[in-house]
Amino acid sequence: MNYEHCIRCTICVENCPVFRVNPDFPGPKQAGPDAQRFRSAREKAQDEWVLLCSQCKRCEMACPCGVEPAQIILREQQRYGKEHQQTPAHLLFANNYYLSALGSLTAPLANFIAETRTGKFIFRKMGISTHLPFPEFRFRKMSREKKRLSRNARKAAFFYGCFINFYRPDIGRKIIQLLSTLNVDVVLPPQWCCGLPALGNGNLALAKYFAQKNASSLSDYIDAGYDIIYSCTSCGLCLTRDYPGILDIPQGRKIAESSYDLHEYILKLINEGYAKPQFGTVRRHIAYHIPCHLRALGIGYPLERIMAGIPGLKFEILDDACCGLSGSYGFKKENATAAIQIGSRAVSFIQKTGAESIVADCGSCRMQLGGLSGMPAFDPAEILCESLGITLEK
Amino acid sequence: MIKTNVIIIGGGATGCGIARDLALRGIPHCLVEKGDFAAGATGACHGLLHSGGRYAVTDPVAARECYEENLILRKIGEKCVEQTGGLFVRLPGDSKRFREVFLRGCEQVGLPAEVISASKALELVPSLNPKLEEAIRVPDCSIDPFRLCMLNIRTSELRGGIIYTRHKVTEIIQSHGRCTGIKATDQSTGEIREIHGSIIVNATGAWADMVASLAGSEVPMTLVKGALVITNHRLTDMVINRLRHPSDGDIIVPNEAVCLAGTTSLAIEDPDNLVIQSPEVDTIIGEAGRMIPHFNNTRIIRAFSGVRPLLKSKKADSHEISRGFQIIDHQNGMFSIVGGKLSTFRLMAEKMVDCIMHSFNLKKPCETADIPLDGQEELSGYPLAKRLVDMKNVVCECELVHRQDVERIIKQMATRNVGDIQHRTRLGMGPCQGGFCTFRALGIMNDMNVLSPEQSMDMLRGFLQRRFRGIRYALWGDQLREEQLVEYIYLGILAMEEKP
Amino acid sequence: MSVTEYDVVIIGAGVAGLTAGALLAGRGLKVALVTKGEPTACLSTGGIDVCSRHENPLPGIQGLPPEHPYHLVSEEVIRQSLHDFQAAMADAHLPYCGGVEKNRSILSALGTSKISCLVPSTMAAAPRNTTESIHIITFKGLKDFYPGYIVSRRRNTKFSVYDAGVSTTMSLASRFEEKEFLETFLPWMENLNIKEDRIAFPAVLGLESAAEIVRTISMRAGKPVFEIPTIPPSMPGRRLFNALKKNFRQKGGTIYWAWPVVSTEKTGSVVEAVTTVSAGRPNSINARAFILSTGSFVGGGLTATRQTILENVFHLPVHIPGARETWFDNDYFSLNHGIGKAGILADQSMRPTGADWKNVFVCGSILANTEILKNGCGHGLALATANAAAQSCAEYLSDEL
Repeated sequence: MNYEHCIRCTICVENCPVFRVNPDFPGPKQAGPDAQRFRSAREKAQDEWVLLCSQCKRCEMACPCGVEPAQIILREQQRYGKEHQQTPAHLLFANNYYLSALGSLTAPLANFIAETRTGKFIFRKMGISTHLPFPEFRFRKMSREKKRLSRNARKAAFFYGCFINFYRPDIGRKIIQLLSTLNVDVVLPPQWCCGLPALGNGNLALAKYFAQKNASSLSDYIDAGYDIIYSCTSCGLCLTRDYPGILDIPQGRKIAESSYDLHEYILKLINEGYAKPQFGTVRRHIAYHIPCHLRALGIGYPLERIMAGIPGLKFEILDDACCGLSGSYGFKKENATAAIQIGSRAVSFIQKTGAESIVADCGSCRMQLGGLSGMPAFDPAEILCESLGITLEK
Repeated sequence: MIKTNVIIIGGGATGCGIARDLALRGIPHCLVEKGDFAAGATGACHGLLHSGGRYAVTDPVAARECYEENLILRKIGEKCVEQTGGLFVRLPGDSKRFREVFLRGCEQVGLPAEVISASKALELVPSLNPKLEEAIRVPDCSIDPFRLCMLNIRTSELRGGIIYTRHKVTEIIQSHGRCTGIKATDQSTGEIREIHGSIIVNATGAWADMVASLAGSEVPMTLVKGALVITNHRLTDMVINRLRHPSDGDIIVPNEAVCLAGTTSLAIEDPDNLVIQSPEVDTIIGEAGRMIPHFNNTRIIRAFSGVRPLLKSKKADSHEISRGFQIIDHQNGMFSIVGGKLSTFRLMAEKMVDCIMHSFNLKKPCETADIPLDGQEELSGYPLAKRLVDMKNVVCECELVHRQDVERIIKQMATRNVGDIQHRTRLGMGPCQGGFCTFRALGIMNDMNVLSPEQSMDMLRGFLQRRFRGIRYALWGDQLREEQLVEYIYLGILAMEEKP
Repeated sequence: MSVTEYDVVIIGAGVAGLTAGALLAGRGLKVALVTKGEPTACLSTGGIDVCSRHENPLPGIQGLPPEHPYHLVSEEVIRQSLHDFQAAMADAHLPYCGGVEKNRSILSALGTSKISCLVPSTMAAAPRNTTESIHIITFKGLKDFYPGYIVSRRRNTKFSVYDAGVSTTMSLASRFEEKEFLETFLPWMENLNIKEDRIAFPAVLGLESAAEIVRTISMRAGKPVFEIPTIPPSMPGRRLFNALKKNFRQKGGTIYWAWPVVSTEKTGSVVEAVTTVSAGRPNSINARAFILSTGSFVGGGLTATRQTILENVFHLPVHIPGARETWFDNDYFSLNHGIGKAGILADQSMRPTGADWKNVFVCGSILANTEILKNGCGHGLALATANAAAQSCAEYLSDEL
């Protein structure tokens, strides 16, 4: 494995948001390449602290030697999860897809219960932190959307992810309209949770299960000439990296090659001259918080280039801090304090810009930063739609 | 002036084994070693506890001895011997005739040798060359030679043995043609100790002739240098041998979190002047790479050589010189014990102490094979994974050495030598080879007021210099990169070489 | 095929790359910087070493052997590069003290004197002589800093230990950024009633606002306060990197992280694009010119095999000091290790020699014959050669139009 290349420079450690605030986590160097020399398939996993890694991947982006500490840690997290008793919180979050489906089905009631004192008490007992309000379920989730037929030259299959599906289907609909305005026809392929919540909670088998189902479905669309678009950068990282990687899905490479981040795709359409969007003025001052997983995709920040073409829009890029939530990570009791401390730093950078609102490609980031700062947090699609004068059809 | 019965010169496995045996048989003794334990061949070998397979063809007596000792050491050193098992792998082109002779030899010696298929071998050790034809499984084990010495010395200390490390013997005192004692200089202070005893045991390995000459005696030896390389991590959990007539680069041994591979054979004159050459390193990597392909690209963190002290023989190919040992009675109160190998140290010690008992006209039998080694409960030992439980307060992050351990050794030994800490904890023996932890360990010594300002800087310089000798011939790829970083730290950030 | 286009692509995010990038972006060119990871600068003391062989850097540079890359750069450019650097850092709230006329020293964690030229203001108050007394304040559990080294080398040095509740350089620096923490720390410090002339800290006094924090502590203490650089993780190194990053972006540059160059596209002697593989797909960036500033071995610009030394991006011919045996002397402290000379040779236009590229320029520690440790010329050389490379690159671009 890559850990041979580690020269102990500690640049990864300098970048780890968890190490900075939680003394129980020894940092990506010790948790990854250092510890790996002592791990053996012959011996049981002993390092419980390995679960404290939030998998933000900042260590990997900083490493000058190609070590990938987060991958090493991720594999150990799966091994640990398999060999040890899982906590209720881990089980719950790994199966977030099913529970959210249930929540969405019983939406108004489920939301109500989640907000009650009893509901919160139960969450805390299960080891879930209540420092942020739980996202609300929506009955009319994305998968209930009518599927449209394709007529345009460009056609895309939209992998919308659980956040949009269960909590913000309105954003999903905006994205579909946005792409339609750019002459892209969008279909909604049969899809399940990307698998990242399962991976992030030590359940490799469940992650593989979801991944295989998604891969088969998406593969058919790729064969039929569709591009795959994802709007959640964490789903994207899972599809393009983990499917061919740790999840070892046979169609993994194909999926990775044909999947695009929404803004990467839009920028591509603009650069190719296929789409010529007339961006109208948007007088806002926003702080563009770069999700850690967007950085990890290695595609740069395409949204930055798109927003540079929106008149009147003032924005700053903030990519020095992690929001701290990292999916389900910050919702687990043992990580909550760290998550808040990590997020508070990101919030302080945002506040220093003087912006009135936050934009981030990741729903998790928006929840955390919005929740901690009290500022409105938008999905980029909302800004782009505003600029293009797109409002949701009834 | 110290008076004792037996003076042991040499703190390698043999010397330490003798100390333990004497202790168990109730004979007062004093051991003197010029460096730290295992400073000679003991500390510069593979750390392989032979099953005996390697000698089954060429030296059946040695093979039998090895196997018996293997069983004994596994029993008495349960916590410090890693029962890795071993494979003799036959690669395409390796003689089937040798294989037959090998199996017959093992059978004759009574050594369990199981033929296993290539796919089974690959299951056991996935990193093996997939083209291997078959393997023979034997009960090889791996051991940390330093730790072995330490545990033997523990018995001696518990029973009143006197131990002096970093004391160089400069004179053997004689009276009427008989040896009556030694003078040894404390290498840190310059103080001279005088120790009197009626028997002197010269267990100094490659230096045996030099030491014997202090008493006007001689020990004819052939000194054969062997090089070894150490890898960044374990490429195998089992000992891997080549199934062929013993030759260079035949053995890969997992030890702690690394592998040792080697060795080579070059006759030399001066045991204090060991120079390793790039071609030796390349040979070892090449041969090891045939058994485990990743060796060709893996990161090597250290390359060093040790001296095999062999009895002088007329055989040209030094692999053929017997690994058996010999006890020489110089008829002046001094004995020399030479030859042998790590695996049979206990037997060598037993025979030596039998001689000594005979000299004293005493009849106490040897118990070293029956009583478990003292001090094993303190070992973190195997499994390796256990060390991952506590990652706080780690001074050496490569080898997971905690601050408490470092402080304990500094106090226990009142030591000013980072090498002492290194040998006992593996501090600085991982991939960065002490890049970070040396600074920390010496810093801790400073905090504990163990060093004066000059000593502190000298110690750091000395350590870095010694360390460099071991890594100099392993500097390419990742290790070169590592080394440039360590240079930037010590010469750049820490400005060790102060400019006026 | 969608193509992302820039005027210049800089490869490598170290001092050299970010500086060259900022210069070119500042001239209105479209500049992208691609990097595999973060640079060696993050680990440094933050100081700009120009040439420490002589009391003054410029005469020191004059005295360097003729093959040293400093000789590719005029004195004027050296001065300008340092001047620009100080201006940019002042803007980034990370002021640097010193000037090209004279070297100065800071106190190292071993208690020795480290020679540098421009030092962060947080280290500027280091004592000039051995008679001044110092009080060191360190932190409980901080395992990367030992005041004992300094105490045992200098008379008149005392130290105190503060329990900050955290014990790594990173976490301490974070805490110092918090007002409440500072407000608890300062009264504790006052209570010490420090009598010594100056107060020293390991370099953990904040990350974004270090200069201000040091000023605050100094004012409260009524004495000069200075930082001592630590072994990595190094806060001053990070501060320098952050400031250079910010400067580059403010001038309009774009950074692509996690972007190792795996191949390049070329036609004739002109490089057209660099390519990486990310998110499952090859991604290219086209540009009219390229600047290679990927560093030495540590930085990842050069790789040594058992047989030879390679340059990893453009496969440029590498000046190799001889067979593997000659790369190192027997004496660790030799400073004459052959390996210090390995690297890319450049001509007066900062183009690599021995290769035919019209639009590729080289700067920084990847250059041959730098012998950085021997000459004490790390970041200073990076600044100067970056300047020269950027100039040359800009000239090439305007000629091409």
